[in-house]
Amino acid sequence: MRKNTLVNVLFLAPCVFAFVMIIIIPFFLGLYYSMTDWNGVNPDVAFVGLENFRSLFSAPDFIYSFLATMGYTLINVVLVNVVSFVLSLIVTSRIRFRNFFRAGFFVPYLIGGIVLGYIWQFILNSILVDLGEALSLEFLQSSFLSRSGSVIWAMSAVNTWQYAGYIMLIYIAAIQSIPASLMEAATVDGAGYLTRVFKILIPMMANAFTISLFLTLTTSFKQFDMNFTLTNGGPATRFLDQPVKASQLLAMNIFNTATANRMAEAQAKAVVLFVSLVVVALIQVSINKKKEVEM
Amino acid sequence: MKKAVSTLAAAGLALAILMTASCAKKEAPKPQDVTVNMFQLKVEIKDALDGYAASYSAAHPGVTVKVETLGGGGDYGGALKAKSQAGQMPDIFQIEGRGHYEVWKDYIADLSAEPWVKDTDLAFKVDGKVLGFPVAIEGYGLAYNADILAKAGIDPASLTTRAAYEKAFKTLDAKKKELGISAPVSMAASVAGGMWWVAGQHNLACYWGGGLPFDDTSVIQKALKGEMDEPRFTQYAKYVQLLFKYADRNILLNGSYDDQVGAFAQGKTAFLHQGNWVDPNLKQLGVTFKIGYAPHAFLDTEEKGLYLFAPSWYVVNSKSPNAQAAKAFLAAMATTPEGHDYMVNKAGMIPAFKSVTLKPSGQLSQELMAANARGGNYGVFFGMLPDGAGQNVFAPVYDLFAQNPNNLSQFIADMKKAIAGLPGMK
Repeated sequence: MRKNTLVNVLFLAPCVFAFVMIIIIPFFLGLYYSMTDWNGVNPDVAFVGLENFRSLFSAPDFIYSFLATMGYTLINVVLVNVVSFVLSLIVTSRIRFRNFFRAGFFVPYLIGGIVLGYIWQFILNSILVDLGEALSLEFLQSSFLSRSGSVIWAMSAVNTWQYAGYIMLIYIAAIQSIPASLMEAATVDGAGYLTRVFKILIPMMANAFTISLFLTLTTSFKQFDMNFTLTNGGPATRFLDQPVKASQLLAMNIFNTATANRMAEAQAKAVVLFVSLVVVALIQVSINKKKEVEM
Repeated sequence: MKKAVSTLAAAGLALAILMTASCAKKEAPKPQDVTVNMFQLKVEIKDALDGYAASYSAAHPGVTVKVETLGGGGDYGGALKAKSQAGQMPDIFQIEGRGHYEVWKDYIADLSAEPWVKDTDLAFKVDGKVLGFPVAIEGYGLAYNADILAKAGIDPASLTTRAAYEKAFKTLDAKKKELGISAPVSMAASVAGGMWWVAGQHNLACYWGGGLPFDDTSVIQKALKGEMDEPRFTQYAKYVQLLFKYADRNILLNGSYDDQVGAFAQGKTAFLHQGNWVDPNLKQLGVTFKIGYAPHAFLDTEEKGLYLFAPSWYVVNSKSPNAQAAKAFLAAMATTPEGHDYMVNKAGMIPAFKSVTLKPSGQLSQELMAANARGGNYGVFFGMLPDGAGQNVFAPVYDLFAQNPNNLSQFIADMKKAIAGLPGMK
């Protein structure tokens, strides 16, 4: 094998080169810039230490975005996984047209987040409001997106609509990999449907839960495109006695800071996002891993 | 055999890497011809400007003007940063105010000696030096539908105080059914609809400059030090309250630009809070009724002026070897008949140069041009605020006030706090 060292190196080189250039170097540059006062253009960059980070945690809009992102992630992880698990149970049962349903549930995932945001904005702002007026239903007459209490839930619902089909596929694959003999044996022993789901199905597909929870957790934490087109951060709400944008999640807060030419501050926020995401994801994976069983 | 194949593949790969590396060294452009690269953000004038640049290039052998446009939803500032990082800084680019100037000042050339400087009031100046070429005049008041006001028996010329507006809005509100309108005013202020700028920039500009001499920046200078002129702001806040109370709720809280302009164009509201840039939209929507501008009269005393400003300026890259050719291109735009024809007839703008005699076609643009000739207008200074102040600080304050327009004292307190935070945003 030693003879092939040169070949190995040459084949690896392009990937390593690209990885270093577009991931590793920018990552450390970003860390550096988060400790400067860079505005994105100015060539004289001054090192300010942890100043950017210190001011972050006294800024109500950032604290709010951080908490809103946590809340959104929690709602999303539960909602997406419950819905997609139920869907996967339905389409692996013996109902008719199950392949059609599988395809149907998956289709929303193929629509990009930007387009999807505009579609749902139209549904929530126009169709539902008009419906509310036609039927004189008070609670529908103002859009769910214009109420600070409901906007995060509306976003989670839209995200679930988009994402559940994708996670469903992972669950379907996991369910189908469980030997049929195991389920048959349980049926012969007299276990009911719910018992089979909770005692056999769920423990047997614990690895699918690990990956699904991880995927939903990280994507909700980094949510931007749908947030941008669906709500644009609005409406406003009051937090720590300051008006803030009720649905401005972390990624959007970073974006709005960066577009205001506050690059170093935005970079500091991005570092905070990265670190919290790593911590939360590591906790989640290590808990889930303990529940997995070997076949 | 296998070894031969893998060696061949490796050699091929090595070659490919070498090729990409060598591709980076492009041959330099021929020195005798000058190419002026312009990077601009007004999407709506792209075709007109491309055409003008092409005819200018044809008329001036040895000079080629290339225009690149990115704007509308595009991130112009981000793209410009990318260009500067890549060493492809354009020769002419566009800034939108003091905040952008602070970012790009190392690249901005002094234009004080240019021939068009004496011909305009709206050049971008810092410390007495002229640095930016005004792209156009834009402006606004409160646009009204003359037919609806006539039917309701309101004389638009009487709308010069807040009290007069209050009376007019009440009359319109009472006659909603009869007039076929859903609300007196089409106003947008929501973060969600992306319309925060109508309130947080254009409306707030009334507080900064309304009722004062055209270049009086004292109120905003004070704000940049963190102080608010409370008696003046209270009068302004009451005006905002009026607009919000008599505005269509769904448009105010959620509406997009299209919703806001569309409602006015369909005759569902009597007033529209937008500038002359809606002229093409109104034309597209088939508006036939007569439209005029009433002043944003928020003070207890009388105000008659409209708000006029240059929304953006062309600046010349001081580090470019083609700076001279770039300056000549801008000078030709401001001083030649072809340049005037392009600005007014092709691009549909109101030029900021007094020597231009051509007239724009839109109703609101004509109103502005008349107001400009009449004088007594007010300056618009939101461009002096730090970047992001409008979108990240004032936007949620207005949004919250729109949700509950009865809470006037809270709005004043929130704005006071927001203004107090301005000095910390540098």
